[in-house]
Amino acid sequence: MKVRDIAAGRAGDKGDALDLSVVARDAESYALLERTLTEGAVQAALNRVAPGPVRRYAVPGLWALKFVAPYALPGGVYASLHAGLHWQKAAIWVLLELEVG
Amino acid sequence: MAEEFVYSVGAGAGFAGDRTDQAVKLARSGQVNALGLECLAERTIVPAIRARKANPEAGADPRLRRRLAPLLPPAKQTGCRIVSNLGAANPAAAGRAVAALARELGCTGIRIAAVEGDDVTSLRDEIAWHEPLDGELIGAHAYIGADALLEPIVSGADVVVCGRAADSALFAAPLLPHLDGSPDALAAALTVGHLLECSGQVTGGNFEASWETPLSAEDLANLGYPIAHVRRDGSADITMLDDAPGRVDRLTCTVQLLYEVHDPSAYITPDAIVDFTTVRFEQVGRNRVRMTGPKHRGVPPTLKVSGFVARRGIIADLEIGFAGTGALDRTRLAADCLRLRLSDWPENDIRIDIVGVDSILGGASVPTNALPAETRLHVSAVCADEAQALIVEDEVYALTISGPAGGGSVRNERRPRIDTLTGFIPRERVKPTVHWSVA
Repeated sequence: MKVRDIAAGRAGDKGDALDLSVVARDAESYALLERTLTEGAVQAALNRVAPGPVRRYAVPGLWALKFVAPYALPGGVYASLHAGLHWQKAAIWVLLELEVG
Repeated sequence: MAEEFVYSVGAGAGFAGDRTDQAVKLARSGQVNALGLECLAERTIVPAIRARKANPEAGADPRLRRRLAPLLPPAKQTGCRIVSNLGAANPAAAGRAVAALARELGCTGIRIAAVEGDDVTSLRDEIAWHEPLDGELIGAHAYIGADALLEPIVSGADVVVCGRAADSALFAAPLLPHLDGSPDALAAALTVGHLLECSGQVTGGNFEASWETPLSAEDLANLGYPIAHVRRDGSADITMLDDAPGRVDRLTCTVQLLYEVHDPSAYITPDAIVDFTTVRFEQVGRNRVRMTGPKHRGVPPTLKVSGFVARRGIIADLEIGFAGTGALDRTRLAADCLRLRLSDWPENDIRIDIVGVDSILGGASVPTNALPAETRLHVSAVCADEAQALIVEDEVYALTISGPAGGGSVRNERRPRIDTLTGFIPRERVKPTVHWSVA
């Protein structure tokens, strides 16, 4: 099972920071994601495409986890060497494709 | 139960290039007292700043006429106020342009307020920059809040235009005179603003729940934009027009609530620090979600500033495509050939990958077993000047003659190198002013 089977997500940015949100479909899925998507696990996955540490924020009342990577987009969106602009919008798939459970 | 709602605000735009038709539908419906139009992303202001430097009457949103020409007449008819940051780098000129457009359209008598004061470029030395200023500062703009938009709203402006403002403030400001004045009601108004500020992102756009049927192409093409019906305490029902396609539910609202907020217990806006962890969403009808519970956690002592720095050089971004049996192998061959041709390019200043394989998520892309029928080699390189960009471009074009068989469909673009910088300025150094025009 992948994260995308039990959660919806969205990626955004602010300056150099990449900002990822994952929202579970129910309480049980949240508990599983809360155990599996640790800061270390998410950083390891994310570092395959973007540099730097990852900070996690858990929001149990909304069955949601947030991950902020403050140095993942050096120079901001417009300094990126990825094809075209705004690759970071697709970055949520790094988390959605992770195996859980 | 309609009497419990004191005010309704809709989202007519969520970014500079957003669709214009949904704002018109919302204004015509008579169901919204105000429309917020968010039209100014972080860097959208850069061309506006440059336009104003060349012509003092330029620098407003270039889409002002396209967006407002169909909107002003129905908004006047239904008494719907418009609040927008399409003043970009020149709100006063935008105010005059809106007045001229309104007169052209026969919408005489409407009052337009232009709010200025976000431009803090001249205070550059008083800004605490997050990173060192390295290069030419094109401009620096502070994010002003709903408090700066409130005076013209209370004074009865039909249209309020500003430049850089917190996106959520555009939607929160028209609500504030109708709320109970408590700190938590302000926090709730800002939460409503945050939910609405990206228009279709809270009504099913940029959203997937893989276990449910996705919206159809027709739904997405006609996606309804959100409306918030707000109570005196700031709690609100987030919904759409009855016949609008889309989805408003706990998931779409939660994903948008958390979008780009970083620490959800302390979402920093110019007007207040808002705690989103206490928010609750309840489905109260089809495509209708009740939002309650955000908490006010103080007022930030500083305002955020976005600065833009022009760095030397440009980014050249090119692709060359391959098709047919072995397309991926030939694309890989072309990539290796290009790496050899550009082997003296500094490693950190060039990126070569394959569209269809790893051009978006790089090493985090999950490989598939199926071979793509077509693939494209992509290269982006930091170039010191146009002559250097031409070297990269010529090397890609040379692959059509001296590279693997059948390379073609070349496309290329050049982008300026503009870095975004974040800084903070004491809030008392930013003094908004209002300029009135009457159509």
